[in-house]
Amino acid sequence: MRYIILLTWALFCLAPVLWFLSIGFRPRTEIITPQPIYFPTFSLDAWQMIWHDWPMASYLRNSVLAIIGSVVIDLVLAIPAAYSLARYSYRGRDDIGFYILSTRMMAPAIVAIPIFFLFRNLGLLDTVWALMLVFAAVNLSLVTWIIRSYMLDLPHEIEDAARTDGASDLSILVLIIIPVCAPGIITASVIAAIFAINEFFFTLLIASTQNSYTLSVALANFTGGSDGIIYNAIALVAFLAFAPVFLLVLAIQHHLSRGLTMGAVKG
Amino acid sequence: MAQITLKSVSKSWAAVTAVHNVDLRIEDEEFMVFLGPSGCGKTTTMRMIAGLTELSSGEIWIDDELVNDIDPRDRDVAMVFQSYALYPNMTVYENIRFPLRMRGVKRRQQAALVQKAADMVELGDYLHRKPGALSGGQRQRAALARAIVRHPRAFLMDEPLSNLDAKLRSSMRVQLKRVQKQLKITTVYVTHDQVEAMTLADRIVIMNHGEIQQIGTPDEIYNNPQNTFVAGFIGSPPMNLLSGRIENGHFIAAGIHVDLTPATAADTSDITLGIRPEDLGVVKTHSPHITGQLYGIEPTGDVTFLSVKTDDSIIEVKADRDFRQALDSDIAIQLDTTRLYFFDPHTGLRIQS
Repeated sequence: MRYIILLTWALFCLAPVLWFLSIGFRPRTEIITPQPIYFPTFSLDAWQMIWHDWPMASYLRNSVLAIIGSVVIDLVLAIPAAYSLARYSYRGRDDIGFYILSTRMMAPAIVAIPIFFLFRNLGLLDTVWALMLVFAAVNLSLVTWIIRSYMLDLPHEIEDAARTDGASDLSILVLIIIPVCAPGIITASVIAAIFAINEFFFTLLIASTQNSYTLSVALANFTGGSDGIIYNAIALVAFLAFAPVFLLVLAIQHHLSRGLTMGAVKG
Repeated sequence: MAQITLKSVSKSWAAVTAVHNVDLRIEDEEFMVFLGPSGCGKTTTMRMIAGLTELSSGEIWIDDELVNDIDPRDRDVAMVFQSYALYPNMTVYENIRFPLRMRGVKRRQQAALVQKAADMVELGDYLHRKPGALSGGQRQRAALARAIVRHPRAFLMDEPLSNLDAKLRSSMRVQLKRVQKQLKITTVYVTHDQVEAMTLADRIVIMNHGEIQQIGTPDEIYNNPQNTFVAGFIGSPPMNLLSGRIENGHFIAAGIHVDLTPATAADTSDITLGIRPEDLGVVKTHSPHITGQLYGIEPTGDVTFLSVKTDDSIIEVKADRDFRQALDSDIAIQLDTTRLYFFDPHTGLRIQS
């Protein structure tokens, strides 16, 4: 009985994915016909089109570079920040922590114009670098807070032991805290990557050519122009954007569930 | 190998004073135990020696060096924690090696030193395991090996055995004492367990409310308590403390009448008499020191604990292993008049006769 329920739920969740895959590999005419089709024709038309007629490779490259770059920037900044917020006591620590979190509460539209001018003045408009920075900025607060809550749960004795064993603050962070917090750090990275791959608003603001178009913005390109809405191409590109994250989450789901519950329940 | 000296050491957080004006000298190679109830400041004092907690005032010296402003990692002391505090991401081998690595010991020497320390605590076969795959006792030994490995100037142990079961605790106690005597390293050991304190210590420091109550060898602490706190804290069950008065060389309280001749205390209307449960015995004479009713009886196998109710107090007595009597029946108690202690009921201090 349990398996029937789980199977039904799995089908319910996977149905849209299977559906847009089936759209992606059928001829365009077949998709928009009003009659139901019981035996669809397999076709690579859309697949060939997105790779030949569109610079799909650059979109994919831009997405991957921007996401990896932004996650790296986030981790480099967030790990020391989280450690400081979790462990050191200084004036205004909690206010600083809240300030960092509050940047997440802002509606993106409020900062859209300043960001546009900022990157224009820096000469970074329409570059992957700008995307990395923007994605990193958007996700930094969340990454910091996830890692911080994970660090808060570590027992102080481990650091006290390391300190009497002769370790400097930096060695403690690198040799002990980061490895022990790995599940939290991985969770935060995956969440940041998912947000980054779905990011649309700021990418549209910054990107204007294939120099910096990412998959999510490229999708929008298939809806206009003289060809109308190209459903099968949209389905394929959407699948390309979805699949890597899906596989990544599958691969690390053990860490992910541990990381997400860690902050909530004292072990 | 070091002498540790504390001079007027105090620690307070805002309104709370955790440690007040502690003066103490721990001799080289000595096994010193800090004993007291929870919240008495013993752990805070140890953390100040380790450098993990800053002093509010006073000085701490290790040998001829004032260490107040010296970082924990430069004090060359090793600490063993109640929670073991092993590094969960490293194997036992890497855990024990960690202090050597941090101190820049040559790689070639590391393996031999780690092996030697692990053998000393009989953990040689578990070096490749992660702490998560060890039992409580093995984790504790791994933590001990990590402290041993670098031959520090002093060991600081914070209730290292309190998470172990009773049987393991007593065997670890023996092992700990052997290791300390072999290595001849000055050791400060914090515990609230008086059996650990009595069995391990060269000297015991008894603390309460952040102040030292008494410093002495286990025998001195047991046989010569300086105040009612020490008297009531040490011993299982602890010393009986009876309030009463002294008239014409007789101690008198409800249901209690003791002839003190030859007089050991001057007449007074207000005094506390201390007597240990093992210095009391059940008798069948007509004029016993104490008369009362049997309130409770607890046979433990080798000895039977009695609670005897007098008019206004309950007195603990250690009786023979085969002593049996009905509850609430009358009982007569004689005490060993050579083993009496008198305390000032207001200050709690011992009145020496």
